[in-house]
Amino acid sequence: MTAGRPLEARFELPDELAIDTDVARRIIAEFIRGQLRQAGFERALLGLSGGIDSGLVAYLVAEAIGPERLLCVLMPYRTSAPASRADAEALVRQLGCASAVVDISPLVDGYFGSEASPGTLGPAGADASPLRRGNLAARMRMAVLYDHSVTWGGLVVGTGNKTESLIGYTTVFGDSACAFNPIGDLYKSQVRQLAAAIGVPDTIITKAPSADLWPGQTDEAEGGFSYPVLDRLLYWMVDKRRSSDELVALGFESAVVERVERMVAASEFKRQVPPIAKLGPRTTGIDYLYPRRRPGSART
Amino acid sequence: MQPLRIALAQIAPRLGSLDENLLRHQELLAEARADGADLVVFPELGLTGYLLQDLAAEVAMRLDDPRLAILAADTAGLSAIVSFVEESADHRLFIAAALVEDGAIRHVHRKLFLPTYGLFDERRFFAAGDMVRAVSSRLGAGVGIGVCEDFWHLAVPQLLALDGAQILVNVSSSPGRDLAARNEVGLGTATSWRTLMRTYAQLTTSLVVFCNRVGIDESISFWGGSEVIGPAGDTLLAAPLYDEGLFTVDVSLADIRRERIALPLLRDERPELHIRELERIVAERAGLAVDATAEGGAGPDLDLAPNVAPAAAGEAER
Repeated sequence: MTAGRPLEARFELPDELAIDTDVARRIIAEFIRGQLRQAGFERALLGLSGGIDSGLVAYLVAEAIGPERLLCVLMPYRTSAPASRADAEALVRQLGCASAVVDISPLVDGYFGSEASPGTLGPAGADASPLRRGNLAARMRMAVLYDHSVTWGGLVVGTGNKTESLIGYTTVFGDSACAFNPIGDLYKSQVRQLAAAIGVPDTIITKAPSADLWPGQTDEAEGGFSYPVLDRLLYWMVDKRRSSDELVALGFESAVVERVERMVAASEFKRQVPPIAKLGPRTTGIDYLYPRRRPGSART
Repeated sequence: MQPLRIALAQIAPRLGSLDENLLRHQELLAEARADGADLVVFPELGLTGYLLQDLAAEVAMRLDDPRLAILAADTAGLSAIVSFVEESADHRLFIAAALVEDGAIRHVHRKLFLPTYGLFDERRFFAAGDMVRAVSSRLGAGVGIGVCEDFWHLAVPQLLALDGAQILVNVSSSPGRDLAARNEVGLGTATSWRTLMRTYAQLTTSLVVFCNRVGIDESISFWGGSEVIGPAGDTLLAAPLYDEGLFTVDVSLADIRRERIALPLLRDERPELHIRELERIVAERAGLAVDATAEGGAGPDLDLAPNVAPAAAGEAER
């Protein structure tokens, strides 16, 4: 806890979502060490945005393997909020880990173009929607991270949480791409709880979550929901297997229940490995089933 | 009476690395021996790791496998329970736990209940065992072995106790889940297991030994928390959650005798009543006998008629 402020003053944590943070940290540290060891790596890297998800993962990785084995890559776009970068830099200083800054503006603008000059797409690029721009930015960050994974000699750690994964608020092969993800089974409220417990700076915990795809964007304004409500709804829907009627009986608005159920169903494809047409006698993922990490799979 | 020294090897097996795990077993057997242990217990699939999938066939061993002989050779003067994938002569793969004593395999228990739901997929890769047997041992008391899910079925510890086991041993690879803060020890799985082990100890007036692994296989983490529970439900040893190590406790077989005389639950069990009623239930469920207590209109294997269940009816009225 920082500055002795009670948790409740900083964010809302629904009762049923409260976790034992000591146990969570223990499991996650073992998980991170196990994933690296089994793959034959000693180092890790992640994209640090200045937000709470990547901030928490940076702390978790540093706790598991030491900050000297962690590289945080800051990848701002020219319209990214300067405060995000400042928060990310402060976090890097506090953790004492390595960092690198890669401005992705030339990569994204090189394709869509900018006010100064057209990009690969020519004049058509100027009409690209914020969604297309956001997705390309996420995929450029992924490409930069995977390139750094070679020079740093580490595995890319995922920073997506359970809430955004379930509603599909992710870019396939973009921010969701990683070697492993330590917080993918934690709802946003639980991310906040764990972040507070592990010592992520207050400014990062209390600011409004944002994909920072355009100035002033916030998740909650864009989605039309608050995280505590959405997290509770997903918890009862997914973890506790409640039907739509039961969810409404629990006090959730039926329009919200319907909308979130649609979002979850519509994003199923984002959470799964793409299907392979079954043709041969033995097919990966269907009847060729091996642990991802098995004897011989580690880098030597 | 000499106390019995039990050592629980709460290890983190390397998935699929049989040779590496075998070495670790040998090291810990030597350590336990130096510490004067009489019984050393290793967790479920301690020799192979848990989440094997198609690797199961590649790490499977016949009971005459030389690697098991190497391990057995390290058990002169003590008892050990080790677990591995056993391949039978007809090439079925079992999750096995063997009692090894004085250089020889004395008994092999094949996991009876293979969870295939939720995060589990065991029935896809393994065959289920068909036998429950308590065996005598050099420890001076009967031993009954169950593997993990076997003890989520009430009949197994009871059958073992009725068959003469005074020491019930469960070897597990229990994946930890449910971190809700309201849980007793911050982990729902641990809370459930602790309740079960105490209940079995009390209801069978037996010593209950629970050895659970630690470490990570892929996404899942194993929580350890191995325990030894006395015949009155008292905790004799509680190993820490998640820490690897060899944890030792001295127990007294005299406590089992005392408890069974003071609380003769086993004496009063009615196995013939079980058989009678089970035979009736089995026949009724198979449609081979009329269920006298069924509702009118119920199908041959059902107690309730196929009308709207009371709860749903109440719902409809509202």
